[in-house]
Amino acid sequence: MANPEDARPAESPQGAAVATPPASKPAPKAPGARPAAPPAAQKPPVNKFRRRLIWTAVWGYLAANFFMFLRFFFPRALFEPNTVHTIGYPSDFQIGVNEKYKQAYRIWVVKEPPRLFCIFGKCTHLGCTPDWKPAENKFKCPCHGSGYTPEGVNFEGPAPRPMDRAQVELDATGQIVVDTSRLFSWFKSAGGPDHFEDPGAYITV
Amino acid sequence: MGGFNWQQLWEIASAPDNVPIVALLFLAPFYTWYAFHQARENDRLIDQLEADPKLAKTHHRKTFPWRPGWLKEIHTWPYLMRMELLVAIIVTVILTVWSLTLNAPLEELSNPNLTMNPAKAPWYFLGLQEMLVYFDPWIAGVLMPTLIIVGLMVIPYIDENPLGSGYYTLKQRKFAIATFCFGFMVLWLVMVFIGTFIRGPGWMWFWPGQTWDPGRVVFEPNRDLPDLFGVSSMPVKIVFGAIVMALYVAVVGYGLHKLITRAGFNKKIYERMSVIQYVVMQTFLVVMLLLPIKILIRLLFRIKYIWITPWFNV
Amino acid sequence: MADQVSTTPEPKDEPPKLDKIRQGLKAFSDKAKEDIEALKKPEKTPLYKSMFRVKHDESERSRALSVLTNVFFHLHPAKVNRDAVRYGYTWGMGGITFYLFIVLTFTGVLLMFYYHPSKGQAYRDIVYLMNDVPFGRLLRNMHRWAAHLMVIAVWLHMFRVFLTGSYKRPREFNWCVGVVLLVFTLLLSFTGYLLPDDQLGFWAVTVGTNMARATPLLGHEGPFGPQLGMTPYNDVRFALLGGSIVDANALLRAYIWHCLAIPIIVSLLLGVHFWRVRKDGGISGPAPVQLESEIKPIRKI
Repeated sequence: MANPEDARPAESPQGAAVATPPASKPAPKAPGARPAAPPAAQKPPVNKFRRRLIWTAVWGYLAANFFMFLRFFFPRALFEPNTVHTIGYPSDFQIGVNEKYKQAYRIWVVKEPPRLFCIFGKCTHLGCTPDWKPAENKFKCPCHGSGYTPEGVNFEGPAPRPMDRAQVELDATGQIVVDTSRLFSWFKSAGGPDHFEDPGAYITV
Repeated sequence: MGGFNWQQLWEIASAPDNVPIVALLFLAPFYTWYAFHQARENDRLIDQLEADPKLAKTHHRKTFPWRPGWLKEIHTWPYLMRMELLVAIIVTVILTVWSLTLNAPLEELSNPNLTMNPAKAPWYFLGLQEMLVYFDPWIAGVLMPTLIIVGLMVIPYIDENPLGSGYYTLKQRKFAIATFCFGFMVLWLVMVFIGTFIRGPGWMWFWPGQTWDPGRVVFEPNRDLPDLFGVSSMPVKIVFGAIVMALYVAVVGYGLHKLITRAGFNKKIYERMSVIQYVVMQTFLVVMLLLPIKILIRLLFRIKYIWITPWFNV
Repeated sequence: MADQVSTTPEPKDEPPKLDKIRQGLKAFSDKAKEDIEALKKPEKTPLYKSMFRVKHDESERSRALSVLTNVFFHLHPAKVNRDAVRYGYTWGMGGITFYLFIVLTFTGVLLMFYYHPSKGQAYRDIVYLMNDVPFGRLLRNMHRWAAHLMVIAVWLHMFRVFLTGSYKRPREFNWCVGVVLLVFTLLLSFTGYLLPDDQLGFWAVTVGTNMARATPLLGHEGPFGPQLGMTPYNDVRFALLGGSIVDANALLRAYIWHCLAIPIIVSLLLGVHFWRVRKDGGISGPAPVQLESEIKPIRKI
């Protein structure tokens, strides 16, 4: 590594001091300036291999740190509220839309014999929670006006597809267990498969 | 008593938060040596120049090589910048290796009803925590830190010695360096060391190699100086303590005065000082010396307070 | 072409459509070749020149400008004392301290993404960080050890500045700024200590703030404090803790001091500190030695 002692004008190989007058070298702009930068021949040869090694190490370290920085934002375990809930017996619910667990678990329990299913109350437009309007017999989202049938199928407004349905099953005691982290969707207008018919999307009553 | 307990020593030294003090045990002496080494070289040059006035006129006055015609200044880029890059790389490497191999400590959840034994302050405050043994909290925790900070800030304003500005030297700044090293090494770093390695459970004194036994029984009742002299009534205690303190200030102040005005060079600097500078310097030095004296009389003679009043104790 | 039948009168030398297309393509490909040639010298492109305003060759001018016109480098002068580059003079401690401060800021900000400064949550967050966050353990370790290294570096920096007499005129004020920075470094460490809300931090802060209650005049257990009306609910310790006990308020205050207030103050003081280094004449040395016989008498005002 060239050191500052090289920042001096040329001297004889014996190292004897030579106070070379400035005129002997093409001086930079200012006249009478100190002797200028050394001729390149005086510098010891740069160890290209070592230099490349160090720069590779530096950039490599920084690149590794960059990827670590990105990965850092994705924790491995999450502590979020429980999504599995027991909501009672099928006989607890009336025919049609039940709002009993809308506030607690964001679901409407819909009983239309021979089926019972749970609509997950998240508007498929941009995620607001719609309202059930019994007088108009439809779900209406207050955010942008999406409208859904009592079965949760979209028919007006910007909603692209019906509201999803949460997984339901009966436990050993016969109570309904709903899991709102497992949702069944039907991309109706795109002609997608109707997952509302999948096992787990409804229970038979 | 068993033999030297290496296991105990290793446990203390390897505790993650004690690693910096172990590092300091190497770094402080090393850098002191490094500085003094350069100082000695400079002092040799100074001796040379003082012996030879003609040389003093033509010499470039540094221990580093230089010839007429050489540049006195060099470009920041690349010479300084790449030194900085190198230092940054080395520090990063040290930090990364340290972080990969040693985990930061995390004890159990805080519990206001259970104090650990020993309950130690962070290592950089252990010096102050050690002071709590010898002084009341308002002195050790409030007055002393204030005096340290103000004392440090006052240094440039009471230092009338123009020599040694910008280079290492010992012989031209004996007093200043001795005082600072005393304050920094002895009073601060040694206290940190004691707080880390010597003070164990119950803040009891354990020599290196002794097992940290929380159940060790000690019987070291303290006595106060007035009691030693048979003084029992409060008004007399106040007066007695005041007299002792005044005597201390007088003796130490006088001793310091003699020291400062004794040698030729010191006297020369003393004559340059104004009254305010001199008084400030004396005040801080006297208070500073009170520390080791109080520590010694406590450790050796179990004396707790010198000056007792209804409002404060020293 | 004599045997061609043309319906519209055309000038004799106008090339047919196909040639025109071929010519157009050739012109396009020539231009493309020019562009590719230009890209082989990226430092001559307008894009590069808009970002880097200085040529990076080895002339004196470029070397000086690359420092003076760069927002990150222009703290430095264009040239320095040839011997100041030696490690032995400054030990690099000031620069190391600053570098560690930057490392601590960066790692600290990242740590903030996973930390809630609330009494029950804080400890769990640290455990979470050490176990369930990728590289969380490494990050926390780096933050802690960099903090300790910074305290050590700042002490060594102070020691070096003293031993080289670099606090003497005209640098007295900068020394004082440095002392204040030292105090704030220790306070940063101290406030950070409490944040994991573990036994270590909790009792360290308890001991520390209990000393505050012994402050003369301002503490409810200090000399003359009670006489001035100090109680556990209005003395200086109360102001520090936001309460009479080390609890949720203390944690939040420590968090804000540690992450926001003190770093802002330190940054301002660092600005002053660096500014003064430059204005007082740069790094103090290594300076030529002065002899005792050369001491000038004091100038009386």
